[in-house]
Amino acid sequence: MEATKIDYKNVYYPPGGILLWIIIFLELITFGVALIALVFYTKEDPVLFHESRLHLNVTFGTINTVLLLTSGFFMAVTVHELKQNQKEKAKKHLLLTMLFGVLFLVLKSIEYNAKLDAGFLIGSNTFFTFYWMLTLFHVIHVIVGLVILSSVYFGLKKKNSTTKIEDVEASAAFWHMCDLIWLLLFPVIYLIF
Amino acid sequence: MKKQHIITWVILMILTVTSGLVSQSVAAFVVPVILLLAAFKFIGVAFNFMEMKKANIFWKILIVGYLVAFIGVVYMAL
Repeated sequence: MEATKIDYKNVYYPPGGILLWIIIFLELITFGVALIALVFYTKEDPVLFHESRLHLNVTFGTINTVLLLTSGFFMAVTVHELKQNQKEKAKKHLLLTMLFGVLFLVLKSIEYNAKLDAGFLIGSNTFFTFYWMLTLFHVIHVIVGLVILSSVYFGLKKKNSTTKIEDVEASAAFWHMCDLIWLLLFPVIYLIF
Repeated sequence: MKKQHIITWVILMILTVTSGLVSQSVAAFVVPVILLLAAFKFIGVAFNFMEMKKANIFWKILIVGYLVAFIGVVYMAL
């Protein structure tokens, strides 16, 4: 692992890299605007939104939050250990990061299956249009994140690994972005209406 | 394993479970409390897991500014 000293206090070098932070802000703004639109649409029919929200499983949402945050915790630990040149430990924790990400997807699939069985489809009403669009868009980000983390893992596994700490930090920043988006989605979609 | 990461994770778990429990209540303060808990979790992940606390003040202002604007607009729109 090549460890170079990065001056994070320099405005052009935030942890994870400036390009990734531009992407993170674009994503946060996109999801943020969509969630605000959802809140404004509530005013058209508050009863429908409240009743639709009651069909969502808050326990599943809470467990999914726990899974994603735990995955994010292991990601942060992985980056820290790589900076300490503890490659073997870091690889194990990276696997745990991915495992919790996969568990998130498994629980989300169970939740989606229940919604489909109950007939709550994307066109059922405005609330469920937002629910499906926003959560599916987030799930796509989680899948992309898992692909990126897998590529980092196999890069680290090589005997003569050329993976740089900057690459791992950028991948970690993308993965944490999925946490940040979920932390906004979960209360607005599952809890407040 | 860094102690600070463990502490952050424990706090995030407590806040998540608290959000779930608070949401079952019908009291008037529920919405602002849920939004506030979400904001604390967001800050925890951004500053401790993503290491934004080491970043330039510009990035810190940007992320906190985004969060305040989002929570503020959502609360006022409800």
